[in-house]
Amino acid sequence: MEAVRLHRPDPDKRSVARALRLSLIVSVALAAVLLTLLAVASGNNELFQRHYGLVLWLNVAIAIGLAILAIELARRLYLRFRRGLFGTRLMARLAMSFILMTAVPVLLIYLVAVQFLGRSIESWFDVPMERALESGLTLGRTTLDSMLVDLTGKARNAAQQLETVTGASLADRLNELREQAGVQEALVMTASGRIVQTSGTRFSTLVPDMPSAAALRQARVTRSYAAIEGVDPGGIVPRGTITGLKMRTLVAMSPASLGEEVRFLQLLHPVPGALAENAEAVQAGFRDYQELSLSRIGLKRIFRVTLTVTVLLTVFSAIAAAFLLAGWMTGPLSMLAAGTRAVAEGDFRPVKDYVGRDELGVLTQSFNAMTRQLEDARAQVERTRVGLELANARLASVLSNLTAGVIVLDRDYRVSLVNHGAEKILGATASRMAGQLLAGLPGLAGFAPDIQKAFEEAGDDTSQGWQRQIAIDAPTADNTERGSGKTLLLRGAVLPEAHGDHLLVLDDISDVVSAQRAIAWSEVARRLAHEIKNPLTPIQLAAERMALKLGDKLPAGTDRDMLMRSTTTIVNQVGSLKVMVDEFREYARLPTATLAPLNLNDLVTEILSLYADTDPTRTVKVHLAPGLPKILGDAGQLRQVIHNLFKNASEATEKQPVRLLEVFTAATRAANGQINGVRLLVRDNGPGFAPNLVARVFEPYVTNKAKGTGLGLAIVKKIVQDHGGRIEVGNRPEPFAVDAADGETVAQVADNGEVLGAYVNVLFAKLEKSDDNFIAPTTQQQEPLLAEKSSPARS
Amino acid sequence: MNRRSVLVALGCAALLSWMRPAWSGDDIEVIEARLDASSPEGAVTLTAEIRLALTETLRDAVVRGLPLYFLTEVQVHRPRWYWFDEALVATQIEWRLSYHALTRQYRVSSSTTSEGFAALEDAIAAMSSIRQWQVATLPMFQTGIVYDVRVRMRLDTTRLPKPFQMTALTDRNWNPQSEWKRFDFTVPTPTSAR
Repeated sequence: MEAVRLHRPDPDKRSVARALRLSLIVSVALAAVLLTLLAVASGNNELFQRHYGLVLWLNVAIAIGLAILAIELARRLYLRFRRGLFGTRLMARLAMSFILMTAVPVLLIYLVAVQFLGRSIESWFDVPMERALESGLTLGRTTLDSMLVDLTGKARNAAQQLETVTGASLADRLNELREQAGVQEALVMTASGRIVQTSGTRFSTLVPDMPSAAALRQARVTRSYAAIEGVDPGGIVPRGTITGLKMRTLVAMSPASLGEEVRFLQLLHPVPGALAENAEAVQAGFRDYQELSLSRIGLKRIFRVTLTVTVLLTVFSAIAAAFLLAGWMTGPLSMLAAGTRAVAEGDFRPVKDYVGRDELGVLTQSFNAMTRQLEDARAQVERTRVGLELANARLASVLSNLTAGVIVLDRDYRVSLVNHGAEKILGATASRMAGQLLAGLPGLAGFAPDIQKAFEEAGDDTSQGWQRQIAIDAPTADNTERGSGKTLLLRGAVLPEAHGDHLLVLDDISDVVSAQRAIAWSEVARRLAHEIKNPLTPIQLAAERMALKLGDKLPAGTDRDMLMRSTTTIVNQVGSLKVMVDEFREYARLPTATLAPLNLNDLVTEILSLYADTDPTRTVKVHLAPGLPKILGDAGQLRQVIHNLFKNASEATEKQPVRLLEVFTAATRAANGQINGVRLLVRDNGPGFAPNLVARVFEPYVTNKAKGTGLGLAIVKKIVQDHGGRIEVGNRPEPFAVDAADGETVAQVADNGEVLGAYVNVLFAKLEKSDDNFIAPTTQQQEPLLAEKSSPARS
Repeated sequence: MNRRSVLVALGCAALLSWMRPAWSGDDIEVIEARLDASSPEGAVTLTAEIRLALTETLRDAVVRGLPLYFLTEVQVHRPRWYWFDEALVATQIEWRLSYHALTRQYRVSSSTTSEGFAALEDAIAAMSSIRQWQVATLPMFQTGIVYDVRVRMRLDTTRLPKPFQMTALTDRNWNPQSEWKRFDFTVPTPTSAR
């Protein structure tokens, strides 16, 4: 059960897989974008700097999403592994390889980068650098301070000179003093901040640069104020103020008279441009340095976090991609596995073509080609098998329809196959013969050693067999009288197989032998008749002449009587010889039958009318079946047949006290009820055939009668055979039922072995063609001439 | 329970805990705040007193020249029972506190003012008291409705240089902010206004 289980993804699972793949792609794309943003934000970009936190959090979220995806994919792989799906092992190995190949280098680089970053950031900061910057700043301050002290001194000087000046002359005096001091702007104001008089070189603006409230407050308290003011580069610049670094000093002027308000002189002068610029640059550098040194922990952290997020994103993407990639690569393998199993189960459908152009695609195509070839081969084998079966069936059919008997013997001469012909010839069923030794076969028992010897002499040469003719007289089951004496032609051959099987073919050549004998006899008869007939007439004439000439010359008395008697005897014997010779000639020169439709019943009636009243001691019973189909026959020859048979029967009963002759005609029917022949049966109540004659009764010169040529039945048989009919003789009771014309079965005396008489049964199979009785000649043998009827008492 | 859902829940929890706004400390506190609609021009002004105590870390940062941005935020909501409250006013003042090392001056700038101070405390004090800041006009309000006003002050961490933003995410010293100071405001009836 757990051998190979196939992963057949159902649509639901496939959509899940697609969703996973999609989420991976989206996540990776997002991660790429966000990582870019993070990298940009790590630089000095104002916009991203403001959203750095958000970008970072999004990255972390994506990393978590990817981690969940990777875990989910790993879980699915694990589940598949647990279920033992095919290809999971390979998939796991591939995934692990991918993960190791990506994760290890990435982690290595990460560790090195973090270490390197920490070190390099620390290395930015060193003491000499800081001291230099501080010194630069201090230098700037000192310079500015000294300039401020200088300006303050000028302010005090001018304030003393202005203390006594009031009214309209103040403006002139102030201008004068300001120019003396080389100051950009001078201003006299009250303690409350009200402007009394101004003087300046800036004409662009009418609004004077006022001190701050705090500065005024300080001036009121300490009677003086001096400071270098700068405008914050990031802040706003109020209207009217001098941009850049400037020195501002406030000095209180003693009131000229008591009760008068205290006034302040403010001198305002910008720090020289180059100095201010350099001092600002130093200050900015110092500030940046301080900021950097303050932020180094944060900076390290930011790089570390960025790197970590990057690594996490990379690693998780790699893991997820590894799983999906492995699945993607092993997918065709699973498909091939499914295909293999299907092929093992006999399903030769090709697997789905893999779309890739790589070796997996080639493999899939090769697999499909292989399954196609397998299917073709299987179809070929199937066709061959069917052909073989057909051939076997054909062979079996041929074998069973052969009249020749075929017996296959194995190496130990045991019967392994018997055909129908052999059954018939040997008179035993195949089941009885199967497995028997050759010696156990009926009929062949006595010849077993000879047959074996013949096989052994033929040796293993399969090309040539042997042939032998034997005569068996084993009684057959169906016919005691006929069974005795069969002539068989045995042919043997070794089958061309390693088993050493032997083939034995039996041919029943009894009929052939009989026919040969008949031909031989007819030839002998023809010649003999020719040779004999020629001298007969001279002999007869000579004898008559002798009687005529010598009769008168011899004295009446014994000599004369003897002569007369002798010549008479000669003439008579010559006459009978002539008759005999004519019969021989008749037999030998029997013309070929000219067949024409005729009614058998009419023929029988016509001939029997000749016998009707010739002998009162004779009783002739005629049972003619009505409505018989016409047979094809030669009327003259058939007339001779009936005549011969009737004469034989009549002669056979001459010595019986009650002479009974019976003639039957009947139709024989095939198994399907169709008329396939007409039967003519003639029987008597004579002494019957001698048992040793039954088989050879149709041969010429075989006769039961004291005098007779023995040609009667031979001629009958010849005629019947010319008519395509069959004839058989035997002793009553017949081994078949004889139906009287009126449908009653003629009663038979109990089967006790007593011979009731003889019968001759003629079957005409050639009928006039008509719709209701036409039969093909080949089906003729469906109805055996003699219905099977076992008569164990006779065997 | 499904293993995956547990994982998802854990991840979300972690994310939420990280994303939570930084802790509100007691470094900044809005002591007192009120809206004043009594000006004849129909302006609604905010007057607030805020206690702003910079942590040592921030002081150090300022002294080293790092500009800090503070936000004073005002929100006025009209309560709605059927939906979220309507935000009527949402405005803020951005303060920039910086130190000029060359002149040894602390400077506080906003969109309207820029002032230098010799002492850090003076600069802080300048940011921590708000006088007559117009946040809305009278016609925006309806009589008889109690408006919900919120005031708070915080350090704008997004204006910090990036490395400090990173620090501010986790270090409360770098992320001072006050609680929302909430109070009700009703527009005085026209008769009383006149």
